[in-house]
Amino acid sequence: MKAQQINWWAIFWIVLAALYFLLPMYGTLDFSLRMERNTISLKAYEIVFADPRFWRGFQYSTLMALITIVVSIILFVPTVYWMYLKVPQARPIMEIITILPFVIPTIVYVFGLIRTFSRPPFQLTLHAFTTDMLIVAGYVVISMPFMFRAIDVGMRALDVRTLTEAAQSLGSNWFQVLVYVIVPNLRVAILSGALISFATVMGELILASFLVRPALAPYMALLGLTKAYEPAALAIISYALTWFSLGLLQIVSQGGTTRQLTGR
Amino acid sequence: MTHLELSHIRKAFGAAVVVEDFNLAVNQGEFISFLGPSGCGKTTTLRMIAGFELPTAGTITIDGNDLTNTPPNKRNVGMVFQSYALFPNMTVAHNVGYGLKITSKSKAEIMQRVHEMLALIQMEEFAQRYPFQLSGGQQQRVALARALAIRPQLLLLDEPLSALDAKIRLELRHEIRRIQRQLGITTIYVTHDQEEALSLSDRIVVMSKGKIEQVGTPTEIYNAPATEFVARFVGHINLLPVTVLNPTDGVISLGRQTLRAGRFGKLNGRPVQLAVRPEEINLGAKPDTNTLSGEVESVTYLGSIVRIGLRIEHHPLSLDVFNEHTLKLPRIGETHTIHFPVNACWLIEKSD
Ligand SMILES: Nc1ncnc2c1ncn2[C@@H]1O[C@H](COP(=O)(O)OP(=O)(O)OP(=O)(O)O)[C@@H](O)[C@H]1O
Ligand SMILES: [Mg+2]
Repeated sequence: MKAQQINWWAIFWIVLAALYFLLPMYGTLDFSLRMERNTISLKAYEIVFADPRFWRGFQYSTLMALITIVVSIILFVPTVYWMYLKVPQARPIMEIITILPFVIPTIVYVFGLIRTFSRPPFQLTLHAFTTDMLIVAGYVVISMPFMFRAIDVGMRALDVRTLTEAAQSLGSNWFQVLVYVIVPNLRVAILSGALISFATVMGELILASFLVRPALAPYMALLGLTKAYEPAALAIISYALTWFSLGLLQIVSQGGTTRQLTGR
Repeated sequence: MTHLELSHIRKAFGAAVVVEDFNLAVNQGEFISFLGPSGCGKTTTLRMIAGFELPTAGTITIDGNDLTNTPPNKRNVGMVFQSYALFPNMTVAHNVGYGLKITSKSKAEIMQRVHEMLALIQMEEFAQRYPFQLSGGQQQRVALARALAIRPQLLLLDEPLSALDAKIRLELRHEIRRIQRQLGITTIYVTHDQEEALSLSDRIVVMSKGKIEQVGTPTEIYNAPATEFVARFVGHINLLPVTVLNPTDGVISLGRQTLRAGRFGKLNGRPVQLAVRPEEINLGAKPDTNTLSGEVESVTYLGSIVRIGLRIEHHPLSLDVFNEHTLKLPRIGETHTIHFPVNACWLIEKSD
């Protein structure tokens, strides 16, 4: 049987790619376990976990990520919904706008933010709270490409227009259509957008360092300058976090797809 | 008693006029079909009644109340869509109860009503299923129950059966009519399937290019189509270009053969056609009928009937005979005489 033949080239490339990704990671992991001479130990991890700055950074970033996700959802779900319903011809423009954060380097974006909002009349960087507002706004923009696309894909799998009309003819106003019909059917899409946004915010360095807020990534960067083993341990921790997010995403979307696709 | 009234409805999308001068009065409990070819404006008209589109001009009233600018969620009009449009995240029971939940009815009342509706569509045992666990026909029945659960003043259906296969379509067609009769609900049914329209409706509105061609009972539409369009669109018809010899008693000629038309309006000199349905024509000659002769061109089996195509004075004509076992079919190339009653044919103005 022809289909059963082993494609050695395919295997070769898979192995090569796997090595390319896994070797450095293995190196980091191995290194992070060798803080104590001649033995394998979790010493570096102990130090990281014992450092209050780590926990503060973790806590701060998590909180910011959650706020970012809530703001993004409130902002993008109605926007994309409206686009599908009323201005489908605006899609190309939306695509371009939402891709901008990928095109414009974050550093440029951050300088723009600081120049605009740290001066009168805004002066947002004077207080921690207003700086956090600014940082969340920045995170919302940075994670916009992910959030928009996730919701867009979810919306595409629904017959948004007919579902809306069906709900309206049954007496729902716009808000009720959104809350009872659209959002529940976008559950998977919103969750996957949220998880990617979460990972993005947790790893975001530039915004937080230039706005001088105690986020996780600047702490990692700082540690990297002064220590050897601890940053390796931190890198592994953040990998684990990201992979945990992705795994969660996988589980969630598997649980939902069969229903979404056939339930149309 | 007029329940729904559309007067002088016009709808334009930009420069394109899609519905024009649409006037219709629908009685309480009546079943009306909008019938017409694709793109003639059936859906657009229905959507204006539902409130999803605003008419460019004209008014829509229900029981004398002007609803022209009322938003769809305030109209209390039930709608069934071609694509079912059940909410995928809700069970059958929640779908059916949705409209009642929105209007903040009590839990007990919702449950009672859902139960009643599911009994009506004979799907009680499916209450806890999700839409994706149902067949197309079942989904559409649930959609019907959902639309009816809110006790709408009006039920609108936009080609509800066209996504289903033939057998289910027939079954559900009867079911829709049964439920409609049982509830006595005023219904507007959009279709491009003439058989559906003829078999379901109290009256049919035949549309073409955004205008009403004719409004009438199925019998009127089929037996006395007012225009060439209606005659051609509904059923199969023979239209033969004839010359009027005597406008007072309807004597006409087709080539060298002379005939009489049973019905004819005022003949104003415009070109006319003789209309006759294939099933009215028989083989052979008979006194006191219109008798013609021509050459057999085709013989087509259609199951219960056989359609025979002839050429008479250079014009095609088809006739249907029942496929009885005693039937002796003519052969292609033979010349045959045919006849049809005078009162089974009529004159229609030629449209341009
Ligand atoms: N939103 C719109 N914008 C512009 N033109 C439209 C719009 N909706 C419908 N039309 C046009 O109006 C005409 C009538 O459309 P409509 O959907 O009412 O036809 P229909 O009779 O329901 O046809 P079908 O049997 O194919 O469903 C079509 O030519 C269509 O292109
Ligand atoms: Mg249509």
